[in-house]
This record gives sequence, structure tokens and C-alpha cells, in this order.
Amino acid sequence: MKKYITLFHINWQNSLQYRFSLFVYIGGYSLYIGVLLYLWSAIYSEGQSVGNYTLSQLTTYYILQLMINSIIFSYVSWDVIDNIKTGNFSNFLTKPLDYYMYWFTINISGKMLESIFIIITAGIISFFVSDYISFPEHLSTKLYFLAAVILGIILAFELDFCIGMITFWLTQVRTFKYMLQTMILFFAGAMLPLDLFPPVLTKAAEFLPFRYLVYFPISIYLGKIENPLPSFGILIVWILIFFILSRVLMSRGIKRYEAVGA
Amino acid sequence: MLRIITRYLRLYKAFLFQSLKEDMTYRSNFLTLVVMDIGLVSISVILFKVIYGHVNTIAGWTFHQSIILIGTVGIVREMAYLTFRRGFLELGNHIRTGTFDIFMVRPIASNLHLAMRHLSLSESLGEGITGIVLVVYGILHLNNWSWISFPLYILLLFNSLMVYYGFSLIINSIVFWVVRSQELNTIIYFFMETSRYPADIYRGIGKVIFTFIIPIGIIATVPASALTGRLGWDFAILSLIIGISFLGIGLFVWKMSIEHYSSASG
Repeated sequence: MKKYITLFHINWQNSLQYRFSLFVYIGGYSLYIGVLLYLWSAIYSEGQSVGNYTLSQLTTYYILQLMINSIIFSYVSWDVIDNIKTGNFSNFLTKPLDYYMYWFTINISGKMLESIFIIITAGIISFFVSDYISFPEHLSTKLYFLAAVILGIILAFELDFCIGMITFWLTQVRTFKYMLQTMILFFAGAMLPLDLFPPVLTKAAEFLPFRYLVYFPISIYLGKIENPLPSFGILIVWILIFFILSRVLMSRGIKRYEAVGA
Repeated sequence: MLRIITRYLRLYKAFLFQSLKEDMTYRSNFLTLVVMDIGLVSISVILFKVIYGHVNTIAGWTFHQSIILIGTVGIVREMAYLTFRRGFLELGNHIRTGTFDIFMVRPIASNLHLAMRHLSLSESLGEGITGIVLVVYGILHLNNWSWISFPLYILLLFNSLMVYYGFSLIINSIVFWVVRSQELNTIIYFFMETSRYPADIYRGIGKVIFTFIIPIGIIATVPASALTGRLGWDFAILSLIIGISFLGIGLFVWKMSIEHYSSASG
């Protein structure tokens, strides 16, 4: 455990170096969310409405999505892919570190700074649209939301790690990864709330694990789910499934590994 | 002046053939990229379709008019990849490793050399093709379409390309001051992603920002407005002025920033 705490600390300090990149990224993403907020308010100002969402629910949805994109989603697979492709992975085979735990630690510590920045940014944006932000009434809702976010971080990492593991089988993995990532964002509800989709797609999204990354926590926050406990059960099952899948892919992958370039 | 232009055109042709050869070496990758682009564009079409399942118009734009917007973004992106876009994606690497030196010593303008060195047909070909298909599809569903708007549309596409180039120059110039920042291109990515929405959604201060400062509202909305018959002459001329200004400011900022370049190699 101690070695992972050290790792956490080192990577946290590393990530401080990239403050500028973070500002840039958050700036770009806030721009995107800002435009979407204009889009929705234009639609609602014409007296139209979208599904059973009020304007303030939609606004809240996208501001939470802005935060979730930084806090929940994992993007370490870019580095995992590089690590395996360049042959640097060989170093790990000789170290007493678990590869899965290594990247999990990197993921969490790399996110800390980003999460702090994004919460500040979301706060600033919320200030400008404060008339259109809704807050949950009950303490239990807040706690459920927090639990969903924490479990979401774990599931998102597992999905991302599995994508990274594909590198052992496919060398041109980047394009493939990009496509998968877009599919995940789509079915997670990152682009549009899932219950606005046509029934076929809404149904499909229900059977996929991705909804637990974005749609599920935000729906809890907005009070759209009366009793979230059964969904939490399914979420935990998904987490276990992808944990096992990660381990299996990793051990199979290591057997296939050819140490390219090393 | 004319001699300079013909010289650059000749160079452009040579560079284009060179990059075509590179693209063709990895034919399967070429195909994957095209398929991926088509997939990504389909997702934006689906998203618009879903929204239009709930509403009739967005700030006055019908579904088929919005399809023209999506297509226009695709075409502008394709034009950018055939001219300057990938050069900027590689710029961070060049500066970090010091290979940017090459662009400083050649008898060509550094920004044009950077652009031509990295021409790419494969990277957004899918988006360009689907872009044209979507624009044509959208036009076929318009009631008040006339051929006269077509030359204006083409002209405004080039204007959008100018805005896009100027904006990219300004943003990417930051790399000379803050060396590690590939992420600058995320801003440009989101800049183009958000230009799909009709600029008529912006109100008040947003309208000013997204027309003059972060000109998202120019890229797709202005050409598409010409096609859908909602563009007045005054705004067309204003857009051209914005286009030329952005290009001018971009070149100026680039020139300033290049003087700040200190080689990392050697």
C-alpha cells in the first residue's frame, strides 16, 4: 500500500507541472458547455420544451456533465497504449508493482488537480446562470449522488483500462479507441440525457454499463430516480464484471506481449 | 505577387503528392480513418435528429437547415486538413524537439511551410465527403433555394477557412511562450464542434463574443445562411471583414511569437 501512496504523491506533483494544459482543456470544454446552455435557452425561450426536462434541469444536467467529464472519466489509456507500444511495459514486468493498481493510482492522483479546477469553473459558470440551477432537497439524494460518482470513477477506470489492454492484440489501437470512447460518451448520456433518445436507443442504453457514468448520477441529483438502490446493485455487478475482465485481459495480454522496441 | 503565388501553388502540389504517397503506405489505416469520420458525423446527425424529435425549430432553423450546418462544418474541416490543420497538430512536437528550426531557415514563410509539410487527405476525408452529401441532402429539402446563392456559399466557405486559420494561428502561437501545450488544439477542436449550432441561438453578450472574439458563429452559420436565404448583404460583408481581420491578426501574432522561439535542439 505504501508504494502506491508514494506513487500517488509523485504523480500529483507531476500533474502540477501541467497546470497550463489543464486550464486550456477546461477552457475548451467550458466553451462547449456554454454553447449548449445557449442552445437550450434559445429553444425554451421560443416556448418549446425538450422531453420532461425544465430549462433549469437541463442547465443543471450540463453543468454536472462538465464536472463529471473531469471527475469520473478516465483517460489514462492513452498512456497505457503508449507504454505498451513503445515497449516501456517491459520495465513493469521486473517491478513489484501491480499494473492495474499502478494505473488506477495514476488515474486518481492525476485527476485531483483537474477536479479542483473544474469544480471552481463550474462554480463560476453556475454563478452566471444561477437562476437556472437546481439543488437537491434531501440529504439522502446528495449522499446517493456522491456514492454514484465514486462508483462511477471505478467503473470508468475499468472500462478505460480494458480499452488500453486491446493494445496487446491490436497495434493500430488509437483510432479504435477513439471510436469506442465516442460510443461510450454517447450511451453514457454525456451528449444528451438518455431519456430524450428515441425508445429503441433508450432501451439499448439501459442494458449497457455506460449509463452509470453520467446519466445515472445526474438523474439521482435531479431527483428523477425514486429508489436508486436496485440500480446501485446492478452498477456493482458491472464493476465486478469489468474488474474480472481487466484482470483476464491483462494476464492474457502479458503472455502475448512481444516487447516491441525494447 | 503573381510569381510568388504560382511558386507557392507549385510547392503545394509537390507537398500534396508527397503526403498522398505517405497516406497510401498505410492503406488500412486510411480506410479506418474514413469509416471513423463517417461514424462521428453520423453521431452529430443523430443528436440533431433527437433534438428535432422534441422541437420544430432551433432559433428558426429547421432540421434540414441544420443538416446543412453539420455538412458545412465537415467541408470547412476538410478544407483545413487539405491546407493547414495538421501542421498545427504537429507544431508542439516540432518545438519541443527543436525540429522547428527547419521551418525557420527555408526560403518559404514558416507558417506556410509548416502547413504544407503536413497536408493530410486521410484525416478528414470521411468528414469532407459526408459534409458534401449532407449539404446536398439539406438543399434538396429546401423550398426557397436558388443557384445564385451558390457562388456566395463557396466564397463564404473560404471566408470561414480564413477565420479558422486566423483563430488557429492566434491560439497556436501560445506554444512559443508556453512550450508544453499540445492541448491548445482542444480549444480549436471545441471551437469547430460548437460551430455546428446556428449562431442565432446567441443572445446579448454571447452574440458579441461568438461573432467577434471567438468567431464560432461565423464558421458554419454564415455560409449556411447564404444557402438558406437568411443572410443579408450587410452581415455577409461584415463576415468578410471579420475573416480578413482574423487572418491579419493571426499572421501578426504568429510573427510576433516566432521571434520568441528559442531552439530546443543542439
